Amino acid sequence: MKLGSGIRRLLRQPAGARAIEREVDDELTFHVETRIDVLMSQGMTRQAAEAQARREFGDLRAAHDEIAAIDRGRVERERRADWWEALRQDVRFATRALLGRPSFLVIASVTLGLGIGANAAIFSVVDAALLKPLPYAEPDRLVSVWPDGAMMPGVFVEVRTGNRTLDPIAGYSGGAAVSMTGGSEPARLVMSEVTSRFFDLLGARAELGRTFLEGEDQPGRHRLAVLGHALWQQRFGGDRGVIGRSIVVDGIARTIVGVMPADFRFPSPAIDLWVPVSLDASPANVGRYWGTSHLNVIGRLRRGVSVAQAQQEVATLVDRSRTSFPWRMPDAWGTGVTVVPLERKIVGDIGSLLLLLFGSVAAVLLIACVNVANLLLGRAAAREREIAIRASLGAGRGRIVRQLLTESVMLGLVGGAMGLVVATVGVRALLLLIPAGMPRVTEVAVDARVLTFTMITALATGLGFGLAPALRASRPTLQAVLGATRNAGGTLARRRLSELLVVGQIALGVVLVAGAGLLIKSFWRLHQVELGFRPEQVIAADIPIPAFPSDSMVRGRAFFDRVLEQARAIPGVRSAAVASVLPFGGVGSIQSSFAADIEAHPVPPGGSVPMLVQTVVSDDYFKTMGIPLLRGRGFTPADRDSTPAVAVVDELTAKQMWPNADPLGQRFRPVWVKPWVTVVGVVGTVKRDSLSSAGEVSIYLSTRNTAGFWFPTQMTLVLRADANVATLASHLRAAVASVDPTVPVKAVRPVVDLVSDSAARARFTMLLLATFAAVALVLGAVGVYGVVAYAVARRTREIGVRMALGARASDILAMVLREGGALTAAGVALGVAGALATSRVLAGFLFGVTPTDLAVFVSVPAVLGIVALGACVIPARRAARVDPVTALRSD
Amino acid sequence: MPPAGDLALLQGTLDVLVLKALVFGPRHGYAVATWIRETSDETLNVEDRALYVALHRLEDRGWVESEWGLSENNRKAKYYQLTARGRAQLRAETTRWTQYAEAVFKVLRAAS
Repeated sequence: MKLGSGIRRLLRQPAGARAIEREVDDELTFHVETRIDVLMSQGMTRQAAEAQARREFGDLRAAHDEIAAIDRGRVERERRADWWEALRQDVRFATRALLGRPSFLVIASVTLGLGIGANAAIFSVVDAALLKPLPYAEPDRLVSVWPDGAMMPGVFVEVRTGNRTLDPIAGYSGGAAVSMTGGSEPARLVMSEVTSRFFDLLGARAELGRTFLEGEDQPGRHRLAVLGHALWQQRFGGDRGVIGRSIVVDGIARTIVGVMPADFRFPSPAIDLWVPVSLDASPANVGRYWGTSHLNVIGRLRRGVSVAQAQQEVATLVDRSRTSFPWRMPDAWGTGVTVVPLERKIVGDIGSLLLLLFGSVAAVLLIACVNVANLLLGRAAAREREIAIRASLGAGRGRIVRQLLTESVMLGLVGGAMGLVVATVGVRALLLLIPAGMPRVTEVAVDARVLTFTMITALATGLGFGLAPALRASRPTLQAVLGATRNAGGTLARRRLSELLVVGQIALGVVLVAGAGLLIKSFWRLHQVELGFRPEQVIAADIPIPAFPSDSMVRGRAFFDRVLEQARAIPGVRSAAVASVLPFGGVGSIQSSFAADIEAHPVPPGGSVPMLVQTVVSDDYFKTMGIPLLRGRGFTPADRDSTPAVAVVDELTAKQMWPNADPLGQRFRPVWVKPWVTVVGVVGTVKRDSLSSAGEVSIYLSTRNTAGFWFPTQMTLVLRADANVATLASHLRAAVASVDPTVPVKAVRPVVDLVSDSAARARFTMLLLATFAAVALVLGAVGVYGVVAYAVARRTREIGVRMALGARASDILAMVLREGGALTAAGVALGVAGALATSRVLAGFLFGVTPTDLAVFVSVPAVLGIVALGACVIPARRAARVDPVTALRSD
Repeated sequence: MPPAGDLALLQGTLDVLVLKALVFGPRHGYAVATWIRETSDETLNVEDRALYVALHRLEDRGWVESEWGLSENNRKAKYYQLTARGRAQLRAETTRWTQYAEAVFKVLRAAS
């Protein structure tokens, strides 16, 4: 009954708004005309009859509109009801069809689940890093000033005073390791020094107490601290009475004025507390104020001010500050000052990496979709008759396509649900793998946004892999209706489509595997790099200088002398040393540079000074690190503050500073210090910042005579030893504690790890891409197998005929392999072309390998070819074993 | 709200009259109007616009359905007929109306 009225409704239902209008017109016209007929039959003239009929009816137009509105509502409602009814039917039908073939359901949904899940996992990282807005007030007005450089406090103050485009403007240090004493046991913390308006600028309020006020970055007023939420909880038990209490940070007493909420994590989640920087312009502090101290700078654009305007003004101010320096800065300094949106500075160069991963994982999903599409095509063949019957019963092509699409979309949704599980696990795995320095990694989670993404992806994939098979399957095949043999015309076309899909799949696989190959080779190259030192069997531990009230340099030296003495006594230790910073020192390590006078090259008046990068080391540093001494001598106990200051330079510095002279005996000094420093030795150049760099200049100063130089507040202890890391670590902790129990030793790590950490991003990229490539390879092989196996199964009869006519098993084997081989060759050729076209995007991620590396581009197609042909062997052998008698009898 | 004929139709009355008009088989709008007027001895004169609105509303509610056909005077006309639900509705309304009318009469004719 319902169906009956439905069909009738379909037959007479006005199709659209225009049809409704026309029908209403017709109906009312009929009424009026009939009335006219009646009136005329009563003897009226036509004219009089018309006039009367119209008068009787009243406002025709209004009646028309009112009636048409009712009809439009009805038609719309009926259409919607029909749609839902059809959907309900489709869903019921699809559920039955899917559950009827559980193996297909499982294979397809697992394939899709892996593909969708991997995409969702990568999306969660991409979303956190690139897409979510920054969690600060009006983030689009926040800018990073000179993101590639940092301002000395002196420069910052000039820019802050002079600028009209940014309000406010603030500086901060990226975070340095400090020790906090007072109260409970000493703690090793990460502290960021900030200027007064730092918190206001970000729109951040204290959870408890207050943040810093204007002017609290002036010397004398700066002895304050704001705690991070975690520190407050862990060290102070979340005590609300903590405000006003005093803590000692690196020997300086500070009053706690506030606590920040847990979600405030600028500039990094590692920061435990913030303190005001002291903008001390006094002559005693000139070296720090204009030299060694640096601030990262952020600002908030005034309303109506563009980034370009701010940049122009800041660049001018930085350039003008040149004249305020106590010495002349190199001409190159202060050029290229930029202002960029803060978001871009935070994301940095990670964007291209994430997009690369996203692209690759999307390719994996595409490959998975091809497999499922091919499965569906195979199924469509089996359902040919069912579809034909539906078509002959009057179901339109659109209706059949919709029916089949419902099935694939449901499959996609099942895959999406599985994908969510995969994503949840995948995100956890990713978080373990993600290299340090990935922006906003704490915000990575499977949240509502990821959920939405997953569901949209699932729907899109369902439509994507279902569309071609559905269109294909719904094409009316007369033979099928008439019950012709199964080798009908539609089958051939369907096979062409699957072959095309598989060729595309192999091509994508080649692109991914080639990309992975390039990254693997590049990673391997990175590990072949000559470091300039021998990190094996060396461990490192950061040790802060104890909190001394005054004359810290002398006492600091004494402290480290005693620590070294104890460390040398640890069993298995062959040598021990301390250094202000290690090569690959990791996040937060401080490279200190200074403007220098070189005696042999007096700077002409108005000329600029060279910048040198210094490392302060103890006597046995070169021996411990395995840095070769090339000429002269290293540091010895004979070097003292009372003896002339000496330095060791690396080969690169020697070549650059004194290209035509013997570096030994040459002298230099920081521009703000009187006595000269004499070069007494030359050591090998080491890779300092990254494996892929060409090697950076370093000069070394002795911990024993650093007069006038900066003495670090923290040293890294290095031990060359045969013992294992855990044993050494416990011995070392005991040794340091025996010298000063208030000094915490945090991480003890092999230097090899520091080096490999510097390649963490390369490793991360390589691992993920290699995983994707492996999955692509497996899926591709399955795809080829499926298509070839299907072709063989469909042609059992033909093979039987061939064998009956005298073909040998080896002929059949060769025939099938040839066909599989042709598909593979086409796919590989296409893939190589694609890989050559796209590998340029990898250029930024490669080291020591060109994007068109010959070895990779020869071996990858070979590997793909072998895998794909291997996938053909199984069905080919099955074909060769066909028994002609059975085959001919079948069908 | 122009009163039609001699008596203004009470709210909701038109619907039941139209349903009744269709009980004898499919009719087009003009025939429905004529039938109501003639059957009520010209007492009830239904306004044309209101009649068509009622027909379409009844169709919207699923009580009548329509089909195009040829009229007696050889014109394309839209014929309405009762659905099963329309018949049931007519029965219910008739009962309700009768009870209502009887009750009203009883009150109006009360002697004391």
